[in-house]
Amino acid sequence: MSLRAYVITRILMTIPMILILLTLVFLVMRVLPGNPVIAIVGMKASPEYIKKLEHQLGLDKPLWQQYLDYLGNLLKGDLGRSMIWGKRPVIQEIMDHFPATLELTIGGFLVSVLLGLATGMVAGIRSGGKVDASMRIYSIVVYSLFIPLLGMMLQLVFGVWLHLLPVGGRIDPGMEPPPITGLYVLDSIISLKMDSLLNSLAHLALPSFTLGLVLSGIYTRLVRSSLIEVLGQDFIRACKARGLPGRAILFKHALKNALIPILTMMGLQFALLLAGAVLTETTFSWPGMGTFLVERITYRDFTTIQGSIVFYALFVALVSLVVDLVYAYVDPRIRY
Amino acid sequence: MSGKDWGIAIVLLIVGLLIGYLAVGPGKTVTTTVTQTSVKTVTVTQTAGAPPPKTTTTQTTPPKKYADTIVIGVTDKVSDLDPANAYDFYTWEVFNNIGEGPFKYKPGTTELIKGIIEDYEVKEGGKVYILKLRKDLKFADGTPCTAKDLKWSIDRVARIEGDPAWFVLDFVNKTEVIDDYTLKIVLNQPVAFYPAVLAVPTYFPIPPDKYPADEISSDNTAGSVGPYKITKWVRDQVLILEANPYYYGEKPKTPKVIVKFYKDATTLRLALESGEIDIAWRTLNPTDIKDLMKKPDIQVIEGKGSFIRYIVFNTKIKPFDNKKVRQALAAALDRKAIAERVFLGTVDPLYSLVPMGMWSHIDAFKEKYGEANIELAKKLLKEAGYSESNKLKVELWYTPSHYGDTEADVAALIKEAWEKTGMVEVTVKSAEWSTYLELTRKGQLPVTLYGWYPDYIDPDNYLFPFLHTGSNRWLGEPYSNPDLDKILEKAQVSLDQKEREQLYKQAQQILAEDAPIVPIFQGKLYVAAKKNVHGIVLDPIMLLRYYLIYKEAGS
Amino acid sequence: MRTFNFSRFLSSVRDAGLDGYMMVVGLIIVLVVLVMAVFAEFIAPYDPIKTVGMPVTPPSPEFPWGTDTIGRDVFSRVVYGSRTIMIVILMSTALSMAVGIPLGLISGYVGGPLDRVLSLVMDSIYAFPGLILAIAVAAMLGPGIYNTSISLAVVYIPTYFRMVRGQVLSLREQLFVEAARALGATDWRILRKYIFPNVFFIIAVVFSLNVADAILTEAGLSFLGLSVPAPTPDWGFDLKNGQRYFLSGKWWPVVFPGTMIILLALGFGLLGEGLNRMLGQKEVR
Repeated sequence: MSLRAYVITRILMTIPMILILLTLVFLVMRVLPGNPVIAIVGMKASPEYIKKLEHQLGLDKPLWQQYLDYLGNLLKGDLGRSMIWGKRPVIQEIMDHFPATLELTIGGFLVSVLLGLATGMVAGIRSGGKVDASMRIYSIVVYSLFIPLLGMMLQLVFGVWLHLLPVGGRIDPGMEPPPITGLYVLDSIISLKMDSLLNSLAHLALPSFTLGLVLSGIYTRLVRSSLIEVLGQDFIRACKARGLPGRAILFKHALKNALIPILTMMGLQFALLLAGAVLTETTFSWPGMGTFLVERITYRDFTTIQGSIVFYALFVALVSLVVDLVYAYVDPRIRY
Repeated sequence: MSGKDWGIAIVLLIVGLLIGYLAVGPGKTVTTTVTQTSVKTVTVTQTAGAPPPKTTTTQTTPPKKYADTIVIGVTDKVSDLDPANAYDFYTWEVFNNIGEGPFKYKPGTTELIKGIIEDYEVKEGGKVYILKLRKDLKFADGTPCTAKDLKWSIDRVARIEGDPAWFVLDFVNKTEVIDDYTLKIVLNQPVAFYPAVLAVPTYFPIPPDKYPADEISSDNTAGSVGPYKITKWVRDQVLILEANPYYYGEKPKTPKVIVKFYKDATTLRLALESGEIDIAWRTLNPTDIKDLMKKPDIQVIEGKGSFIRYIVFNTKIKPFDNKKVRQALAAALDRKAIAERVFLGTVDPLYSLVPMGMWSHIDAFKEKYGEANIELAKKLLKEAGYSESNKLKVELWYTPSHYGDTEADVAALIKEAWEKTGMVEVTVKSAEWSTYLELTRKGQLPVTLYGWYPDYIDPDNYLFPFLHTGSNRWLGEPYSNPDLDKILEKAQVSLDQKEREQLYKQAQQILAEDAPIVPIFQGKLYVAAKKNVHGIVLDPIMLLRYYLIYKEAGS
Repeated sequence: MRTFNFSRFLSSVRDAGLDGYMMVVGLIIVLVVLVMAVFAEFIAPYDPIKTVGMPVTPPSPEFPWGTDTIGRDVFSRVVYGSRTIMIVILMSTALSMAVGIPLGLISGYVGGPLDRVLSLVMDSIYAFPGLILAIAVAAMLGPGIYNTSISLAVVYIPTYFRMVRGQVLSLREQLFVEAARALGATDWRILRKYIFPNVFFIIAVVFSLNVADAILTEAGLSFLGLSVPAPTPDWGFDLKNGQRYFLSGKWWPVVFPGTMIILLALGFGLLGEGLNRMLGQKEVR
């Protein structure tokens, strides 16, 4: 299949996926009790007032019509407006919170890759021994660590007892760097504000570590098996025969090839990262999409919830597309 | 397909995504930062006899006794920065600092004093109010505020019909401008406590050129006529207030106030301990409050709150139409256990809907039933036809987060108290806020737990909306007692304090007898602050006045 | 078709070395929790819903794991909590399997447009972050044991579907199926006699690993307040309830339920991993 056809097919496949998810969420939400008007309006509001607000939001139209209206707008790229409080455009509400989740996800990803690489390499090199065995157990143990508990322990040790790192939030107010990408660490670097950089890194440390540790086990196994496979190959033996030191072999040749399988998992991992981010955000009061979404679900802010789900789905699909493309680039064997 | 093609495709795709992301972009968040008007050239006019502690012009730098900035942390949210729709606690607190109405409460008391008015007259037995505005009243940008602006603001509230619109619609017949500084308000009928109503933010004047006439403007930072003005507002993150140079009255002791919004109480507490904030306000966990009390560098100030929690029996759903059942459950309730165990003593058991500290309060439920009176409860249940073999089945509903994390525990303890009789079987159910409200309004929930913050400080606000026929529709509560209705109506229009007190005492006794609603506890207010912060005044209106707070400099 | 031979199984456990031990340890943990769940009344010293002491008292001889936020015995609550979580997990898994496995079997075997559509739907759900989907469904349905089971089931149906379908696809083309068809067996008989038994072992492995994941998801839901209502003893709920006391140094309402969550997830994880490796050595014909 040509490159163009491949990319187009992948993008086309995303559409039904988003549609299915959207329909599911739409139906479930509208059918059950509660709506954004009731959630927000003061307790003494009269039924007439409530009806008026519902009409304003179009909630009194028949269900299929609301569905079609929403779809129509979606095709135009319009996610609508939130149904509560400031009635701000949904896309803006999402962008208020998404960069925080993105930053946390990237942080968690980096930690998980680093830890996975380290443990996987150790296991792969000393395969068959006790170390290898303990690394295998490591992956399972680490994945079982319930994020809130792990997070709270880290908060206790590093935040309260040692006073080393902050316990919650993204950054101390007033220290925010100019909003270029919305990722504080990146923006601090771009605008060369050292104090913002340090502050945001300090806040990012514990949550990223929590999230990354739990998911690192997945990489451990991959790296290990891939490393074993590569190390057994002919060209490695050739290097050894030529007298290259072990370390050089490892880092220069074996590692590169071992990294490839990591790419395969990245797409899947991403969904896991996003899911884990919800609990991490709640534990560390991190103002991201996770806490935001849970809050909006409580208030039945239909448009925001739908928009967020669409956004998530789109994001996951796009990231996995890029990842697959990179993988195809790196490993010519799988291109089709 | 060559490798190079794939590589180019990837790069293009990534670049495309980046551009898309930045375009939709984070840079566009609504961060309203109001640039400062030239404070330096302002001459502040002062009313006679109100000496300011210091001027706010930056030219004169008096000896720095007090810090320039104070940081306050809260876990509350702001709903709409628009008096026409603001009806929640924290937004009202913000407005009380950036605005002012015809009347206001003297700090630390429930006494009403004149706000933005110089004088007023009450005519026709309490039906007509003539308000004479101060002539030096100005908005945050310096434009004068006149009677026309006040009328516009009040009419707008009625027009938009937002949440708090009833403050106007229920009472006011029409507003009329007499002259530039005189406004006449004609009520539908005399209302004894109308000056208290005139103190709520719904009646604050707002600049007509900055607020849309027919729409709610939620993130509007134009402000009003109060001691502070808004200079920065980022929803759910930070609110910065700076002294309003055009305020007619005493300058705030601290020129700049930063309010930080936290997601949960634990982080708030830690922020105070680490020095990130000077004051931790609402809402701290009881356990954190207790811990902070022990810390030497932190002061915890306690005040009586006027916030109450209560149980609602839907008198239309069997068996709660049976008075004896309600009385039995009211008798068996163990308020002390809840106050001690769940809240560690940071709340007080409450025996009437009218809170303690409010005039006319009586411990109606205690007088009638005692406390945790299992014997009486058993007796009443027997009379209603229940026994150990024929247990009363109760479905108790609560909502898990709206009233704090502690709600599940409160429900568990109520269940335990009622089951102590041996004749009751309680099933606890929960629904999150939105569903909870909807089901309550539809009248589908037999027993629910709710709370109430006062709209204005008067016993009427704690009785009328709950017990008067028709007014309690919002609770899904069909309770109706015509005798009680008459008493409440009479007390509302009477202008004789003594008579009102008598009537309200009677009303509370009827409440205890009929027990459609059973009070549980009354919250106390807690503010935790660094030891060098002063001027914190806690009073029944429960809104912190930032303009009285100051902190010793050099800390 | 093989039958299950117990002594052969035991010896292969020993042969498998570490993997065998992992599986056994996992099995032991799971069994312990199961015993806790079934015999809770005999193991727990107090009623988990009644307040029996002062709130938040540290572990003592009277209350071995201390008391919780309103004075209930933590140990008793944890013991009964095992029952809650086992019920939810088993119900949701049963539901996922009841829907996912048949659909996977049919879809894989029949193929064609049905297969394509079903796969598309399942892949969409599968690719989406699981906890978030569970949150959306749970928040809508409201608290309750049944509702929570449904929320979890929805998330894991695709897992079983995909796994079963994959197996069916690979088995479908194999010789013995061809042979059976040549002998005149109907599709249904083929599915029942040949394909399903071979799929069975894979299901066992996936089941364990899946349950480990489901436990963490359920705990996540409880932590967010979307699972079972108070005062049902539930590990995730107790963890959340105790959170406000944790940083003041009152660790026991949080640590004990939390550790149980980790242990149980670990148990199933080890069990699944061990099983996986052991069974991976056997090709089932």
